[in-house]
Amino acid sequence: MKDDDDIDVEREFGFEPAVSATGAAAAPSREKPRPRKRRGRLRRRLGATAVLSLALVSMGSLYAAFAASPSANDTGLSKTDIQAGRQLYQVSCITCHGANLDGIVGQGPSLIGVGGAAVYFQVSTGRMPATGQGAENPRKEAKFDEQQTEQLAAYVESVGGGPSVPQGSLRGPDDAIAEGGVLYRLNCASCHGVTGKGAPLSAGKVAPSLNDATDRQMVTAMLSGPEQMPVFSNNQLTPDQKRAIVAYIQTLKASKDPGGAGIDRIGPVSEAIVAWVGGVGAIMIAILWIGARNR
Amino acid sequence: MSDHRPEEGPTADELRQMTSEEAMIASAKAAGVHVIHRRDRFPIRGTRAEKRAERGVALAFAVSGLAGVAFIVYFIVGHWRWHLPGTSQDFQYYTPILGGTLAIMLIFLGIGMVLWVKWLMPEEEVVQDRHDGPSNDEDNLMTEATLVVGFEDTGLPRRGLILRSLMFAGGAVATVPLIALVGGMLKKPGSQLLHTLYRRNSKLFPNSDGMVPIVDGLWRPVSPDDMEPGAIATVFPGVRQKTAWGTDGLTDAASPTLLIRLRPGQTVKPRAGQAGWGWPSESPEYIAFSKICTHAGCPASLYEQQTGRLLCPCHQSQFQVLEDAKPVFGPATRSLPKLPITVREGDDGRLYFYAVSDFHEAIGPGFWERR
Repeated sequence: MKDDDDIDVEREFGFEPAVSATGAAAAPSREKPRPRKRRGRLRRRLGATAVLSLALVSMGSLYAAFAASPSANDTGLSKTDIQAGRQLYQVSCITCHGANLDGIVGQGPSLIGVGGAAVYFQVSTGRMPATGQGAENPRKEAKFDEQQTEQLAAYVESVGGGPSVPQGSLRGPDDAIAEGGVLYRLNCASCHGVTGKGAPLSAGKVAPSLNDATDRQMVTAMLSGPEQMPVFSNNQLTPDQKRAIVAYIQTLKASKDPGGAGIDRIGPVSEAIVAWVGGVGAIMIAILWIGARNR
Repeated sequence: MSDHRPEEGPTADELRQMTSEEAMIASAKAAGVHVIHRRDRFPIRGTRAEKRAERGVALAFAVSGLAGVAFIVYFIVGHWRWHLPGTSQDFQYYTPILGGTLAIMLIFLGIGMVLWVKWLMPEEEVVQDRHDGPSNDEDNLMTEATLVVGFEDTGLPRRGLILRSLMFAGGAVATVPLIALVGGMLKKPGSQLLHTLYRRNSKLFPNSDGMVPIVDGLWRPVSPDDMEPGAIATVFPGVRQKTAWGTDGLTDAASPTLLIRLRPGQTVKPRAGQAGWGWPSESPEYIAFSKICTHAGCPASLYEQQTGRLLCPCHQSQFQVLEDAKPVFGPATRSLPKLPITVREGDDGRLYFYAVSDFHEAIGPGFWERR
């Protein structure tokens, strides 16, 4: 709730000039054919707008003073990093997300308030920069290296705020794996599956497999809720619980299959198809061999 | 059935004069099977080729036996104990080795037998007579007489008491398994399908006016603060007491509920009579639906936070949460039941979710008595 309020303030602050401009520009044009009496009302309205703007500006600066820069203090990224991120943004992202990060209709969404976590997830998994408009952006090779990704995240966060990229070790200890398993089954397994291989959603969208996901990509995905994925904030799943989930997923991925070849654990239907085609095929070959004439 | 007559075959004296092979061919012929071609593969005994073939068959049998021994040894000696990744995960070979040795044992036994036939036994081609047309009159009359006498021997046409009591017993034997299959549909389920543990309970929750607190999968009360816009949580009625059938709020099959916080700009078009069932009630931002799909009872919980669609993984039903979980795709025909929720201030000053009342309709798939 508190975070939410902060974002709202930030947003209002960002849009403040637009509010007053419409108020001032739209009112006189509507004013013309109306009786003069209303001028006092217009003045009042302009005055109210000015007061509101002042209040918003002061609140914004107060917020800026108290909240400090959201990323710089815990990520250790400096102003030069933000500057570098800005340059990367202006080369690779600005076409779709706009110069003010507020998005371009039909091309890319606003990045105000998405935070460094969302940028880190989208860019480090190669989903951004996107190659085209589709049902969903698939994972592909990342275009930027780790440092550039962090810089981009720092820049976007410095403009719009939002959840930061978590630092440090994001994988819980071994004794947290069981708890992570419980939490994974409660919160994640419905879409990503009990084996983490993903599942189809509606209209060509998918919950992706977690095969290639790194610790930090998992945590940033939970924090930011990319595309159709719900958000799992630090209030809902504490950072320790997130680390436990990461530990569980990574253990699951690294664990060998006790039954031999797992065929990437893609599920009973596909395994049965392999058993049928392979097994019945072998039986057919054996039958042909038994019945063949010996010359 | 029997076109041949025993007198057509060779006599006993003739048979005594024959070699065993000739006698075998004669007996096959008497049974309507004609051996057209028969040749010993190794007419000269003990050639190198024969010995080689013999060794091949013996090798297959030996491999089979050794694999069986290996299976027994590994079954006793081998261990199946799960280890964390990073340690030697030797358990991964246990099942494949058991399966592999078993397969080798059986396959090589079969291979050995087939090779035995193919390499060592005489090659043979036979033709069997086909018996066309119906049986002849003699056979028909004899069979008929056997059946008639057999039925008369039971005396059933005269002994009506036995016949009727036997019919009664037979009917009972046939009906009992049928009752086991169909009986469940005859017996009414009572009211247990019509309410869940969210039902108001002033005895258990006197402080909240009987309203049941909503908890997550770890029994923690759920607060609006916990959820960001676009977040979901699987929640349950916070009833820790065991019910009559031994479940509690977390384990009862009817409990799972999906609590959703909408994104900014998303609003719900409520179904008739369901306006204001979320929180805040004037413009709901948090809404809760039963997770049990109305088609076949699977957990419908694949939530797309941008489109507001909720998918069921079993048969691809889709529900539009922004229209009060109306079914928009797939086999489900009814909306997911909505849980009326509100908040109360807890002891720590935070707000926590409570169920205002039970679901107003039966959750899950339809049934006959469903209103």
